[in-house]
Amino acid sequence: MKFIWRLFDHPFWALVRKEISQILRNKQLIVLLIIPPTMQLLLYGSALNPDVHNLRLGVIDYANVSASRELVSAMTANQVFNLVSVPTSEKALSHEVEVGKLDAGVIIPPDFARKLDQNTAEVQVFIDAVDANTAGIASNYLNQIFQQYNITLATSNVILPISTQVIFLYNPGLISSWFFVPGVMGLVITLIGTIASAVTVVKEKDTGTLEQLLMTPSENWQILLAKILPLVFLLMGDVLFALTLAITIFHVPFRGNFFLFLILSSMYVFVTISLGIMLATLCRSQQQVLLTSFFINLPLVQTSGAIAPIEAMPTFFQYLSYCNPLRHYITIIRGILLKGEGLAALWTPTLILASFATVLLTISINRFRRQLS
Amino acid sequence: MNRIFAQCLKEIVQFRRDRLTLALAFLLPFLTLMIFGGAIRLESKNISLIVQDFDQTNLSRGYIEILYNTNQFVPQKWIGTQPARDAIDQGFAKAAVIIPPQFSRDIQAGRTTNIQVLVDATDVNNARVIKGSIEQVTNFFMQQQGLIPANNTITAQMRLWFNPGRLESLYIVPGTYAVVFWIFPSLLAAIAMVREKDKGTILQVYTSSISASELLLGKGLAYLIIAIGEVLLVMGLGTIIFQVGLVSNPVILIFGTLLFLINSVLFGLLIGVRTGTQDAAVQAVSLVGFTTSLLLSGFIYPLNNIPFPLSLVPNIIPARYYVDITRAVFVRGAGWEAVWWDFLMLIFLGLIYFNISRRVLSRMQLPN
Repeated sequence: MKFIWRLFDHPFWALVRKEISQILRNKQLIVLLIIPPTMQLLLYGSALNPDVHNLRLGVIDYANVSASRELVSAMTANQVFNLVSVPTSEKALSHEVEVGKLDAGVIIPPDFARKLDQNTAEVQVFIDAVDANTAGIASNYLNQIFQQYNITLATSNVILPISTQVIFLYNPGLISSWFFVPGVMGLVITLIGTIASAVTVVKEKDTGTLEQLLMTPSENWQILLAKILPLVFLLMGDVLFALTLAITIFHVPFRGNFFLFLILSSMYVFVTISLGIMLATLCRSQQQVLLTSFFINLPLVQTSGAIAPIEAMPTFFQYLSYCNPLRHYITIIRGILLKGEGLAALWTPTLILASFATVLLTISINRFRRQLS
Repeated sequence: MNRIFAQCLKEIVQFRRDRLTLALAFLLPFLTLMIFGGAIRLESKNISLIVQDFDQTNLSRGYIEILYNTNQFVPQKWIGTQPARDAIDQGFAKAAVIIPPQFSRDIQAGRTTNIQVLVDATDVNNARVIKGSIEQVTNFFMQQQGLIPANNTITAQMRLWFNPGRLESLYIVPGTYAVVFWIFPSLLAAIAMVREKDKGTILQVYTSSISASELLLGKGLAYLIIAIGEVLLVMGLGTIIFQVGLVSNPVILIFGTLLFLINSVLFGLLIGVRTGTQDAAVQAVSLVGFTTSLLLSGFIYPLNNIPFPLSLVPNIIPARYYVDITRAVFVRGAGWEAVWWDFLMLIFLGLIYFNISRRVLSRMQLPN
């Protein structure tokens, strides 16, 4: 027992205690640790949704026979398209698409019934393709519907010779928040980790208390370590907080190993802290830190695949994203949470993340020490 | 009036002296444009796909050929008998197509045969895209082989309007303008406003004869001028780099942008008035600014996908209306009848921002 007390008697722990009480007194930091992550997780998780449904459809049915009406009801059967408008002229229909009131328009010509008997019926379809992604999926749906309808017209036998059974792995219900929430967990830790660590370091510089710290018998590395340790715990608390929100509110599954998640998350926390310290060595005041953090965090977040998938990016940005530690961390979180992957599948991002942590920590400690002396 | 211009001039002089803010004002918007406009794409190209062909006949090979001819998939080699699921688990492929051993026998006998497709659905959107493409391929194959009638009774003449090549840049870049012109003008204005409080110079302002409205208008005018500079830079480069040109009435763009910038600057001033320190102001602008302009503006996914209580919020987000305007003038080529509502809402929201900031400021000021 006495030995343990002696261990904690070391001046190093006095420094740690000082940092902890300083952090606890800093209300702004506590707010920073709780409010933005909650807001961001909730908003990103519920507002971003790539579903293609309830597209607004306008139909002009000049033919108005049972076949054409059936076709229209086939198009609107599965909630992808909703019939919202039945304009009287083609001009009115195209105008409604132009001003953005409709997402798609269908014109069934007057000779539809006659041509149907000759097997050459044509229907005009146009889709608002400003949103290229939605338009692509919607036109695929429509093609599918027409195909299906043609088959029912041609044969009484509706059973197709080949059926494609698509199985969606990891997220069978295609719940969009399961994709975004793990990404935003990484995003949140990045934003907070860099800013919180940079601010705590630069504050000493700003107020001039850094020199006082240097006068104490502590070594430089002790000063820095005492700063880093409480931050690691706080940020890990934030990781767990974000995870709790993800699981309780969005029902994101946790299929992997919890300890692996903790270890790899702490590795990433070290990456963000080193980035923050580096930022602090570049700046003189807290305000400068906040402003220059934009230059780091913006590219870090946007090339990480948190929101837009990496596979969809142009090749240049795909390669660039390999130099982005957040990309690897998000791969890890999605792997552990959604896929239940272990180290066997995740060893590449783990290795890259570990090297990022080591290199960045070494550089930032060196820069900090050089600035002290 | 003179006092407004004097305040405006003072702001611009102060702004030019600070090199970090200068960089922030012009470098950062450009960087944001490049990253958002360049990197954000939604639809995966070159999806890695493995095919396990247990049939190994001409028929199955014909199917595989069509699959890879779509140019959407990149073939990946996978050792014949290992479960295809492993390839997806290891991130080796995004999708796997498994052709059963009785594939050609079933087809020749007129029985239904099942092709199994495994899709990595981590990315929900592209899972849907992959499913659609593979079903399309199967249909085409069935027609080609005469398994279903080849000439359609009904042909859909499908046309994609405004963006026939389905270029995603046409969707993302005009939206990026809204994000950039929302964040940065408001950030600068908020810093300028809160700096007076931070440094204590606000007391001098209070004791001077300048009124709250004059102070807001003076500062607002200065940052509006700076914001116009940002617009010229960002839109100019955006047009050149991403080839997204104007296809409609330039007057709509000019007035719409001006209105939006006024909103953005006023929003910044409002944050500046409400917060006490520069740090809090920067945090508030970046948190509120990014989340609203990215998530609640229809920038990435359609607005009507937002679930109910939250779906009311975009109505008071200026960026949402500006996204409508930029897409109208850069992609749709629509005229005034498509955007008049957006203009009305921008004017309305701008007035609200101005009034709230004026009230808060006047309350702090000593009555004359």
